[in-house]
Amino acid sequence: MLDDLPFFADLLSYWPQIVRGLRDTILLSVTITATGLIGGIGVFALTLSSKPVVRYLTQSYISLMIGTPLIVFLFLLYYGLPNLGVTLSPFVIAVFGFTLNVSAYNARYLTIAYKELDPAELESARAQGFSRFQVFRLITAPQSLRMSVPALTNQAIQNVKDSSIVFLIQYIEFFAQMQEVASRTFLFFKTYLFTALVYLLLVSVVVLIARRLERKLAIPGMG
Amino acid sequence: MALLEVKDLVKSYGDRNVLDGVSFDLEEGEAKVVMGPSGCGKSTLLRCLNLLIEPTSGAILLDGNDITRPSADVRALRSRIGFVFQNFALYRHMSVLDNVTLALRRLKKLPKREAEERAMHELARMDMAEKSDAFPAALSGGQSQRVAIARALAMDPKVLFFDEPTSALDPIMVREVVTLINRLYLDNVTILCVTHDLGLAKHISDRVVFLHHGKVYAEDRIEELLHRDDPVLEDFFGGED
Amino acid sequence: MSFFDILQILLQGAGYTLLITFSCAATALVVGLGIAMARELGGRWASAVLSALVYVLRGVPMLVLLFIVFFGLPGIGVDVPPLVAMMLSLGLISGAYLSEVFRGALAAVNSNEVLAAQSMGFTRFQTLRLIKIPQMLRFSVPGMINELTTVLKYSPFAYTVGLPEITKQAMALVAMTMRGIEIYAAIGLIYFAIYRLLLGAVRLIEKHYAIPGFAQE
Repeated sequence: MLDDLPFFADLLSYWPQIVRGLRDTILLSVTITATGLIGGIGVFALTLSSKPVVRYLTQSYISLMIGTPLIVFLFLLYYGLPNLGVTLSPFVIAVFGFTLNVSAYNARYLTIAYKELDPAELESARAQGFSRFQVFRLITAPQSLRMSVPALTNQAIQNVKDSSIVFLIQYIEFFAQMQEVASRTFLFFKTYLFTALVYLLLVSVVVLIARRLERKLAIPGMG
Repeated sequence: MALLEVKDLVKSYGDRNVLDGVSFDLEEGEAKVVMGPSGCGKSTLLRCLNLLIEPTSGAILLDGNDITRPSADVRALRSRIGFVFQNFALYRHMSVLDNVTLALRRLKKLPKREAEERAMHELARMDMAEKSDAFPAALSGGQSQRVAIARALAMDPKVLFFDEPTSALDPIMVREVVTLINRLYLDNVTILCVTHDLGLAKHISDRVVFLHHGKVYAEDRIEELLHRDDPVLEDFFGGED
Repeated sequence: MSFFDILQILLQGAGYTLLITFSCAATALVVGLGIAMARELGGRWASAVLSALVYVLRGVPMLVLLFIVFFGLPGIGVDVPPLVAMMLSLGLISGAYLSEVFRGALAAVNSNEVLAAQSMGFTRFQTLRLIKIPQMLRFSVPGMINELTTVLKYSPFAYTVGLPEITKQAMALVAMTMRGIEIYAAIGLIYFAIYRLLLGAVRLIEKHYAIPGFAQE
């Protein structure tokens, strides 16, 4: 451990940019988790539309997003949009791309939960006089969300890890900063090991939050 | 003028007529039971009456207003019909109290306190007041049904529909339910009950509407139907006493 | 450069994509099974260590692990070829996820059947081999399919260590022709096609091995 001291000294000298990188990673992760969740609920609602065309298009979009690599989609946006005359910052492209991708996954998880719902409860709500939108807001969405908490929190963890790929579209976050530190200090192994540990720490925080959420939001009487 | 008038109700799926011209009336304070062999259309009938299923043709009059007309306010209609489902269909993610207050707060727009007072009143009427904080998963079948009835009654409906109230219960609970529905009947609640349970029909109904192949085959007091010399009726009731 | 030329170059990369995907998937299967068996047969201490290992592997981004293996290990004297680096990062991580799938599947095996086997005199090891593992594998099929497609979706990162798979070809083409939209849309569709083909192939294999009357959930 003692001969690691120079490594930590080096690390300290790069501290400001490391902290900035960490901040940007957290910012991106939190943002895309939020937008991905809201988007996911919206896409899920679309899968329940009364119009077959809407349902078909939504399912196709979900299929496409789940069946292609996220990085390819980000490259499509990053290298393709300028050809259409649209210039956006890497952060906006990252958020946009992630949101579309994560929304599809979240919608899929919500749909899986929806299949476990009791259709009689939905029929009963209609029989009471609630509109289709109200049935969604009061019964379908709350039950589907609460049943999907494990899958949705897993996605949040995935978001933290996947945020590390955005340096490939020139968004400088924590991993990007650490790559620069590594190339300056030539201590690749130690630097990247440290990087991994920091991500592990971030993920562990999410895991703790996730466990509490799971306990709090579990529907009594359902697995 | 009867509270509910059903005139020549037809519901067809493709070229199959599940309901083939059903007509009957329901007076205020009356309790009618709809019976018949499987596939006779009883559940479809109930769902047509509050437009959960759209009838193909025919008229349904609630208080003289034809609800099958396009201009009818379906949601207002539904809040005047209480519907108790076969498996109770309590909202499992909400407490018993919230189950009962949901429609009061979101449809009738009652403030929370008033809604909860009304809800507790109905729950007490069903002897379920002390379970108001429980969740549906913790309730027995009989308890769930009481809550389902309280939930329906809380909206002060003109008529209460029951879809096979005894199918999901064991024999002991069945007796309790029969007593309960009888009590409602004595409280002058108008009841339309779909069932295949003869005991229930005997105890709570004024008259039985017997459906066969989507038509009203007979409508009479249960004792009359049991003793009528008719092959279809004998077939269904199995030559009971 | 015609559309056909572009397609040809991209399809060359597809060969590498499939190689990477299958190598990493095979690694994942070996690792996943190994961990699952070790936890099943080992004592408390082994289970605890493996639990920690699985937790770490599931908590580290794949790219970071790839960089540790490919750029970091040489610094402490270990040179790793690019494909092996992919197997040791993507393969290991996927293996950790698979071990969790197997763990859940093992727990779902009907305990009555296990008891029946044990009372017939089979050893723990034999029960594992003859009863638990075959059923575990059948229960694990959805999870395994999921991991396979995930490996496919993370295979593009192989370009960062120099492997000439589809994404690398695409990047070179875009630099040459500046037709970013068409090229990335094209490889998106190629990946999607491979994804569907893999799904279809696995479903065929699944049908071939299905037991009559054994419900798949």
